[in-house]
Amino acid sequence: VNWTRISSTAFDVTIWLYLGAMVLSFAHLAARRNTLWVLARVVTIAGAAANLVSIVARGMAADRVPWGNMFEYSTVLAFLVVVGTLVVVEGVAKIKTLTGFSLMFSVLTLAVAAMFFPVEPSPLQPALNSYWIKIHVVAAITGSSLFAIGGIATILFLLKDRSERRALAAGRQRAPVPIMGGAVEVDAPHDLLPDPEGAGGAPEPRRSGVLPSAAALDRVAYRVIAFAFPIWTFAVIAGAIWAQEAWGRYWGWDPKETWSFVTWTIFAGYLHARSTAGWKGRRAAVIAVAGFISLLITYYAVNLWIVGLHSYKNG
Amino acid sequence: MTTSPGLTLRQSVALVWRTLRSMRTALILLLMLAAAAVIGSLLPQIPNSPERVGRYLGDHGFWGPLFFRAGFFDVYGSWWFVLITVLLFVSLAACLFPRTRAMIRAIRQRPIHARELDGFRHHAEVRVGTGPDEAAVIAARYLRRKRFRVSRDGLGVAAEKGVLREVGSLLFHWAFFLLLLGVIVGKGTGFTGRAVVTEGETFVDALLNYAGEIRTGRYFGGDFTGVGLELLDFEDSYRRNGQPIDFVSRVRVLDREGRPTRTEEIRVNHPAEVGGLHVFQEGFGWAPVLDVSLDGRRLWSSPIEMARDDPPDDVPATAMPWRGAIKLTAPEPDVTITLELWPDLRAFANFQLTGEPTSMLVQFDPYIRYSVYVGEIVDPALSGVDTTGLHRVGRSDLHAAGTSTFRVPRSGELRLSFPELRQYSVLLVSRDIGIPVVLTAAILVLVGLIPSLYVSRRKVWIRAEAAPGGALVKIGGFSLQRKDAFEEEFDRIVRGIGGAEAVEVQPEEKVGTS
Repeated sequence: VNWTRISSTAFDVTIWLYLGAMVLSFAHLAARRNTLWVLARVVTIAGAAANLVSIVARGMAADRVPWGNMFEYSTVLAFLVVVGTLVVVEGVAKIKTLTGFSLMFSVLTLAVAAMFFPVEPSPLQPALNSYWIKIHVVAAITGSSLFAIGGIATILFLLKDRSERRALAAGRQRAPVPIMGGAVEVDAPHDLLPDPEGAGGAPEPRRSGVLPSAAALDRVAYRVIAFAFPIWTFAVIAGAIWAQEAWGRYWGWDPKETWSFVTWTIFAGYLHARSTAGWKGRRAAVIAVAGFISLLITYYAVNLWIVGLHSYKNG
Repeated sequence: MTTSPGLTLRQSVALVWRTLRSMRTALILLLMLAAAAVIGSLLPQIPNSPERVGRYLGDHGFWGPLFFRAGFFDVYGSWWFVLITVLLFVSLAACLFPRTRAMIRAIRQRPIHARELDGFRHHAEVRVGTGPDEAAVIAARYLRRKRFRVSRDGLGVAAEKGVLREVGSLLFHWAFFLLLLGVIVGKGTGFTGRAVVTEGETFVDALLNYAGEIRTGRYFGGDFTGVGLELLDFEDSYRRNGQPIDFVSRVRVLDREGRPTRTEEIRVNHPAEVGGLHVFQEGFGWAPVLDVSLDGRRLWSSPIEMARDDPPDDVPATAMPWRGAIKLTAPEPDVTITLELWPDLRAFANFQLTGEPTSMLVQFDPYIRYSVYVGEIVDPALSGVDTTGLHRVGRSDLHAAGTSTFRVPRSGELRLSFPELRQYSVLLVSRDIGIPVVLTAAILVLVGLIPSLYVSRRKVWIRAEAAPGGALVKIGGFSLQRKDAFEEEFDRIVRGIGGAEAVEVQPEEKVGTS
């Protein structure tokens, strides 16, 4: 069996299916036809299946875990972002409108991988040849994909929040809107702490436009990031343990270490900002977007342009 | 808070303390730490790559010195990075002490009873068939079974759950102090050095043997172990396309007295532990064994550890020749021999014929070109060669197992033989007693983090009142986090306490839940 061939064919099929699913998802946003949503889901799941085939076949071709270089990492990242969105955002949070944007992220991830760092399946270099590649890298990809979903939701929150604020300002003369979850509880006892999960000062959800309410976007962003944060923490710790074993020190301010720390710090800041009066809502969201950008730098810039021990572009 | 000039010292201290305690300050310090790390990743750092710092300074005439003075080339050792870290930890401590005290108090204390239950966000009343006393007992038992901490006082019950959130959060934050301690103690009392050892030779753990390639902690006592590492054999293996498979040093460990104790295989990702030291495979190179004599007098007979030039762009490092030098101060005047080694003659031949660089992964008829210089050697200990003050008397070449003679004017006949080509291994030797502490701290960080994010704190109050035909049970509750999830839990509690035959008196009041 020519696994290399199967993997690369499945990769191409994945891109086209994701692209089609993305178009269908946006069409659903615009036209709000349920048929379009069903169609978009079918194509999304077909794309995810092709993506999975591409990953597994790659592993068979190289005879090792299929995340040994940037190309493979991107393939897995795209898969996890799509599947994570389907499971967490659509399944748990019941928000149907985010998937198109996640598909867009995955299509870009795959396209960048195909254009800038395609490599043939090959064995691992000695530094990567450790069982820690299963632990550290899996945690890093999972954390990254969830942070990416949280980042997408946060960007959409900022857009939606602005339009809601405008609508609110326009309709100020009408009856006052009830205050939402994030506000101070009238019945709370002495030791009240702000709820970090409450909608970040976002006003009353109004069913207008194509996106879900800002409050719902904000909540799903928080949930996903709070889910990703311990995974990312674990990835950094596992990376430190591996670095101790491979390079003789658990922390050496290598660019990848530095940027994963920066990403960690920014998201830690986000989680704290959520429970700090005056930092909720837009300010916290801006921190989360900074974390998302930092995540992209951690992955792309550090691997490609900043010289360090983690320059695994070619495996 | 006003900052009027009339503040007493005590008030100012209190003000600073209050500022440090605020989450805002901690947040800003955290983000400043991230910003500092960004600088450290964008500019070359002296501890990691001093030569790149030098190049940067040369290329940036204006910004270079400015950044240098600001400590941007050694961010993690700069006074401001230390200051941010210290302030962050002080701020953290200022925040954690009162929270810890409050948490201990909350755990010791029984849940506090509430007088008025109607005002809570979640509120319900059910009618049950039992008497009020029994209803309260049943409710308390039910909540205890649901793992609430329960305190019953006659007809009233107070219950709470989810203290683990705060416990986890405090554990997470305090663990960073342990982490800091482990880092400071480990790095402060330890060292990291680079041991270069050729096949057949022994490296002894002692300061001078690291030849300057060592970084010791501030509190390192200089107590080297004196254990020896005899390199029996180094092996590098490659695939056909030149991709490395593995690098392995087979080492015999010698105790202080030089007695062999055991052998170890040190390979990438598989360090060895030797007498409290960790030894890692870091690099390797070629070390030709050369015998040099001048007019029959033997002047040199040992391996020379060669270094490889940095390759130009698009040339694999393995295609580059290796360089080294022999400095002889015995003859008059001094003689310097610079060497250029091609471990694979085919690569040399190909380069001469076509100009194409070829990777040299195995030795194949190793070939040395050498030049001979005469003139005073300024620094015989230095590995590099500065030929500016020297006079070149000629060049020649040499094959493995071969001999070559060279006539040095006024000195005599120089005779070089090249009996064998060995490899040397670069081993990273480090001592860090803080590692178990750091690892423990990291585990505690994770263990604390999970409940601090996912557990929610909720409280439930119950009051049973006598009513015709049984009792009226009033239930109130609220949750500090995950309010929408608590709504369902509260409904379950109401059903659980009321039992199957209970009648809900009035629908629970929901105020602005989402």
